[in-house]
Amino acid sequence: MQIKLGKLNFALKKPSLRSLRLAPNLALLTGIAMGVLAAIAQGFLNVQPPVGVGVCGVSHPTDLLNWISNTLFGSDFTVHGVFLAIPALTPIGFILGSTLAALKNKELKFRRGPVRDNIFAFILGFLVFCFALLWGSCPIRTAVLSSYGMVFAMIVMVAIVIGVIASCEYIKWKVRRM
Amino acid sequence: MFLIALAIFLVASLLIGWLIATFIPVNVGITTLVVGIILGYMGQRSRFCTISGIRDFYLVRDAYRLKGLIGIIIGGIIGFNAVNWISGASDLPGLPDFSMIHEGLYVEPMILLPLATIGALGMGFFSVMSEGCPFRQHVMAGEGHLSGILYLVGALFGIMFFNIVITPYLQLLTLIG
Repeated sequence: MQIKLGKLNFALKKPSLRSLRLAPNLALLTGIAMGVLAAIAQGFLNVQPPVGVGVCGVSHPTDLLNWISNTLFGSDFTVHGVFLAIPALTPIGFILGSTLAALKNKELKFRRGPVRDNIFAFILGFLVFCFALLWGSCPIRTAVLSSYGMVFAMIVMVAIVIGVIASCEYIKWKVRRM
Repeated sequence: MFLIALAIFLVASLLIGWLIATFIPVNVGITTLVVGIILGYMGQRSRFCTISGIRDFYLVRDAYRLKGLIGIIIGGIIGFNAVNWISGASDLPGLPDFSMIHEGLYVEPMILLPLATIGALGMGFFSVMSEGCPFRQHVMAGEGHLSGILYLVGALFGIMFFNIVITPYLQLLTLIG
């Protein structure tokens, strides 16, 4: 179906059954996949100790970097027991997987990204990892540990939610002042 | 449609996981790489992000991404119980631990709790400003976003800073413990 509004020309496609039903729940499906794969990696493929370390966006990059540093420069940085011999390659997998998906769907393009200031993006990465390493896990692993019934992780999850709400309120306050 | 896709995914992933564990010797590196690729692919397609999920719901009542965070908890419960049931192990996961710190430091949990809470508050606060959780930043870097790439470079410096500057102070807490 074609719609013409002056110079603008829209083409509407009839949505398929697949896009109607599956797409709204794709984030839910990804979340469930994360929880299940974390349990499979730990239970069947022996990615432990520590507990629930199958998927993590903070401790795995840390383990990888520390492993490389220990191997190349002989440093003595902390690496999780399971990754002492072979490093965690999850961060490389995340980047490879998203590149593959972007390539397949013609979305791979070098662009600025949501944080416009380059230095600010660098500083935020620095700060987030410094704070995250005090707990040692990303929100994904925190949620996985919470689902295993770990009370400590539940408290941390609440703290993350409070941090997010505080940041939202700060942004709203800053916008109101402008 | 969604429930069928979910059921197929759960059965297939558990079956493949069990078959690989039983018949093919895979090491930790390959496992984490494959898991990373699958989740990176799905994360790019679904725009999954834990922090943005909470933020979107709080600011505009959009629950699309929040469903992802809820999904992890659902998936964790299903996966934990299914793996436990299939492997017949009762003591599989579940024991509390203190992640990075427990490997090198022996600090009392009552000292770790405020530390971890401060860390989580800071992570939540600054992740909103960086428009995503660490996982989402990996995905954005893979898509070609400059801010994602710079975030990861900053993260590498953050890890080194933590190792060299913060960890020795944390080791002092060992004495208190």
